[in-house]
Amino acid sequence: MDLTAALENLVPALETGLAEVSSLARLEDIQVAFLGRKGALARLMSRLPELPAAERPAFGRAANAVKERLAALLEDARLRLGREQEAADLARFDPSLPGRLPWQGSLHPITLVMEEISDVFQAMGFEIASGPEVETDFHNFEALNFPPDHPARDMQDTLFVAEGVVLRTHTSPIQVRAMLERKGPPVAIIAPGKVYRRDSDLTHTPMFHQIEGLLVDSRVTLAELRGVLTMFVRQLFGRDIAVRFRPSFFPFTEPSVEADISCILCAGTGRAQNSPCRVCKGTGWLEILGAGMVHPNVFSAVGFNPETCSGFAFGLGVERVAMLKYGIGDLRMFFENDLRFLAQFS
Amino acid sequence: MLLSLKWLREFVPFEGTAEELGAKLTMSGLEMEGLERPFAGLKSLVVGLVATCARHPESDHLSVCRVDVGGEILNIVCGAPNVAAGQKVAVVRAGGVLPDGTPIRAARLRGAPSQGMICSEAELGLSAEHEGILVLDPSSRVGASLPDALDLDDEVLNIAVTPNRGDCLSVLGLAREVSALYGLPLTPPETRLTEEGDPAAMALALEVADGNLCPLYQGRIIENAVNGGSPARLRYRLRAVGLRAVSCLVDVTNYILMELGQPLHAFDLDRLEGGRVSVRGADPGEILVTLDGQERSLLPSDITIRDSFRALGLGGVMGGRNSEITGESRRVFLECAIFQPSAIRRTARRLAMNSDAAYRFERGVDQTGAGYALDRAAAMIAELSGGRVRPGVLRVEHRPWKAPCITLRKRKAEVLLGIPLEDAFCAETLARLGCGVETPAPANSGGEPVGIWKDVFPFDGPEVVEEGSVWKVFPPGYRPDLVREADLTEELARVYGVDRIEPAVPAIVRSLPRAGLPESGYRFRSRVKHWAKGLGLNETINYSFTSHKELDVFDPAGGGRIGILNPLSDEHNVLRTLLAPGLLAALRANLAQGAAGLRLFEVAAVFSADPSSPTTAREEQRLGLLLHGSRFDSGWPQVQQDADFQDLAGILEHLLRAFSLPPADLRPADPSVYPWLSPAVDIFVQNSPLGFLGRVRPGTAAAYHARKPVWLAECNLDSLQALHRAVRPAFRPLPVFPPIRRDVTLICPPGFSGSRILEAIRDLGGFLLAEVRLIDCFEPQDRGDRHLTYRLTFRHPSRTLKDAEADQQRDAIVAALTGALPVRL
Repeated sequence: MDLTAALENLVPALETGLAEVSSLARLEDIQVAFLGRKGALARLMSRLPELPAAERPAFGRAANAVKERLAALLEDARLRLGREQEAADLARFDPSLPGRLPWQGSLHPITLVMEEISDVFQAMGFEIASGPEVETDFHNFEALNFPPDHPARDMQDTLFVAEGVVLRTHTSPIQVRAMLERKGPPVAIIAPGKVYRRDSDLTHTPMFHQIEGLLVDSRVTLAELRGVLTMFVRQLFGRDIAVRFRPSFFPFTEPSVEADISCILCAGTGRAQNSPCRVCKGTGWLEILGAGMVHPNVFSAVGFNPETCSGFAFGLGVERVAMLKYGIGDLRMFFENDLRFLAQFS
Repeated sequence: MLLSLKWLREFVPFEGTAEELGAKLTMSGLEMEGLERPFAGLKSLVVGLVATCARHPESDHLSVCRVDVGGEILNIVCGAPNVAAGQKVAVVRAGGVLPDGTPIRAARLRGAPSQGMICSEAELGLSAEHEGILVLDPSSRVGASLPDALDLDDEVLNIAVTPNRGDCLSVLGLAREVSALYGLPLTPPETRLTEEGDPAAMALALEVADGNLCPLYQGRIIENAVNGGSPARLRYRLRAVGLRAVSCLVDVTNYILMELGQPLHAFDLDRLEGGRVSVRGADPGEILVTLDGQERSLLPSDITIRDSFRALGLGGVMGGRNSEITGESRRVFLECAIFQPSAIRRTARRLAMNSDAAYRFERGVDQTGAGYALDRAAAMIAELSGGRVRPGVLRVEHRPWKAPCITLRKRKAEVLLGIPLEDAFCAETLARLGCGVETPAPANSGGEPVGIWKDVFPFDGPEVVEEGSVWKVFPPGYRPDLVREADLTEELARVYGVDRIEPAVPAIVRSLPRAGLPESGYRFRSRVKHWAKGLGLNETINYSFTSHKELDVFDPAGGGRIGILNPLSDEHNVLRTLLAPGLLAALRANLAQGAAGLRLFEVAAVFSADPSSPTTAREEQRLGLLLHGSRFDSGWPQVQQDADFQDLAGILEHLLRAFSLPPADLRPADPSVYPWLSPAVDIFVQNSPLGFLGRVRPGTAAAYHARKPVWLAECNLDSLQALHRAVRPAFRPLPVFPPIRRDVTLICPPGFSGSRILEAIRDLGGFLLAEVRLIDCFEPQDRGDRHLTYRLTFRHPSRTLKDAEADQQRDAIVAALTGALPVRL
């Protein structure tokens, strides 16, 4: 056959072939058959020497035109097939099927609350402090102005591990350690940790968590205690929360106060849904922490001069805050470690 | 402290409501925990007059009464033998309810209609008396509500009294507080005591060995008492504040205890021998049967009250059986003493005796008020029992009470509270609280130095260097808690109202020496927790204590534990030495809830004995990890497989990388150290021991109801933090020249240490080997040799490596490996 005619025939031949092709794999085969190293076009080109020398340039140009045409046809087919493939894939695609889910971790609500509170105080300039959970009577009681055989010790039922050694009943011994370590003002610490009491019932667990705060400087006032605590509870519970002070008693502070916050459920009105609020029992207030001005005897016990410095200390129960914050009704849930509970805090 | 509002009003003319009073007391430091209405159940009962009373025609023990309940006549069938016409009685109408909840309905009793019920004291819940109906005072108004007619103490405030305010454990004490808070006069009842007969001193001599233990011991003698029941009013009042009426002598001592806060004790004088009462420590080995019937072994440190031959009671705690007042007692020695608080507390604690007397003595009883209490009690006993009080008070007062002198600097109080205080307010408040107040010579004429306070006064402006008023304050005998300046400052704040103090925001100063300290342990542990959460582990918090029995599983040798001396239960009698028991308990709890897969962690301290520690304990912070069951908690498309060693080892490696540390060296552990793990593996990082991991033996796991493999690891976070702190993160330049990779499959015997092969390859690789990594581990079906495929990455640091060089290097490594280790190609 005439070489030029054979060349011209390649285009309709490819068109026929492409009309039937339905997969990209088959398209590859066709491409090789026409444009491959041993494909139809290459075979025709290999016969170039058969032509007279004068016809060769024209044939060459024709061959290039055919080659471009073939390539364009193949590219069109490829795009068409790609679109078809994509449409077919899309038809099968179900975005509602679940993803390959990695593990979902969670932090214990006590950890969440402790960290949140610590962060608030750290931002105010308090430094994190800690101390041992097994404590000496000196740090846990004596230096905090709990004399031996004093009924103030009844406020905290103590677990003993040896004569004069207790499981700390509060985080307050960390105050003592922090002051002893720093040897003088200023001291601004926040100390979260586990504490222990010999008490177990619906509203008490033998282990629970507290956060202790202490600020000592040359002239710290009770008014400033109120300012710091107000700032703290607003950051934790919202801008509208008010703080109320009531006089109270702790051996290591004087004056001592109990701080209440306005109820976070009924906004301090004492009523929710036309009945007495169940969270604050209708009082409008929630007891949240104990605090006071550091007792002169505590300063003396740690070698600070009560005449030249003053300070405040406060301690709050983390479980109590977590219960309020998350609406948890049963204290014991914190230590049952039920995954259905824990996983809610992821 | 249960405070009846009516009782209070006998001491102070407070006219507000119980709620108002409760709120006021709460805001002054005496929190009202509740408002009780002990006789609320009697609200619907009324006073009736039995107009007529006739035998029931069909019964020999029933009466048919016509009862006037005020404007209405009820027909009531009554079974009481003592019912009679003309009596005023307590009536519940049909449709009403008895205090115990029993509804009363209209009924016919043997044919006679009954429209209500006439009640006995027992039915009214006023006493156990159920023999006959309660006959009311003839002056009671017909139709009046019963609580009004009986003038019952219908509102009782439950006040939480802090340990420093022992003075508020009485009606009188709270009345003083109310008087001070409201500026009302105090009106304690006057006592008229008539003395008769021979002087008391002729009957009894007193002796006190130690004036420190018993500063005041005094008493009176009452003759010819008839110890019958107390009048209704007194009995009901005791009932309202939670006490049980016994007999008039005992009831009076309880009444005075509640009213004045002074514990009293009545001895049957006829049972005292030798005409002498002495106060001293018990004899060694002495035994006393106390009023509650318990045999008490006494110590010489216990204060005893004795006659010439034996102990009669534990002073300030509880009397003895041998001198107890009975229904037959006629002659009474009424003791009214003051004992040292700490001595009473030691005895009461040791013997676990929480008597009302001990509770008050521990908190301090007013020595200056003891005389009034004694006379008031004696007068009441004389009145109620018909007895005669012999002239004179028997009294030994080795240490009369002396008021301390406290210097109060107004300026210091102002600076501590952050509020300005008026001189007049301070002086008046202290005086109202019962303190003597003296103004000494002006402080700036050579008085007490006020120190730094003079130049930091924030209220008058900086120019005024004024030291402010200084007072000498003498607190009253009932306020033993006021001993120093801070105590008075607190009183000023309390009366001023701590809630009136406006908030101020301090400028918090940090000290330079604290700057740049290493990361705190708390913060490091917090980072570990967040790492674990991010990895998909669930944080648990378990108790720090467990039982010896449980620890025996993990550590049969049991050395170095810290036991709890007074555990709440045997479940919690020792501090944990490892985290595993808590994590396994959490596993058990979750399996019981049907959990399929668990990935728990805990960050907490474990405890071991350390004689060199001041606290006797060494506390090590640990991370505990537990894997059990399904590797993923989701379903498709995740493959459903159980977690295995590789999961746990991978988590550990991830932890180390997260803290910039090299991979761990995991070595088979000594099985005797971990009898509960198999396999057990020791974790080393840079040759430091870091912890262990392994699979809990099925037998141990079964105790926690686990049927699938339980993988557990514990890691010392103190060590991890130290290793982490030593790492100095530094940038390594990125390689410039391309790598060449070669894979090598080696066949080795099963169980041969993979890390030894890896190490050997690294050692042999030289500087051209940039990285080696295990990319496949294949064990043929016959479970024979193990096929390990390693991918070696070669790279020259300063030029492009040639293929042939890489091949040559690989061949050299393989040749050396097969020569040195039991591996082949």
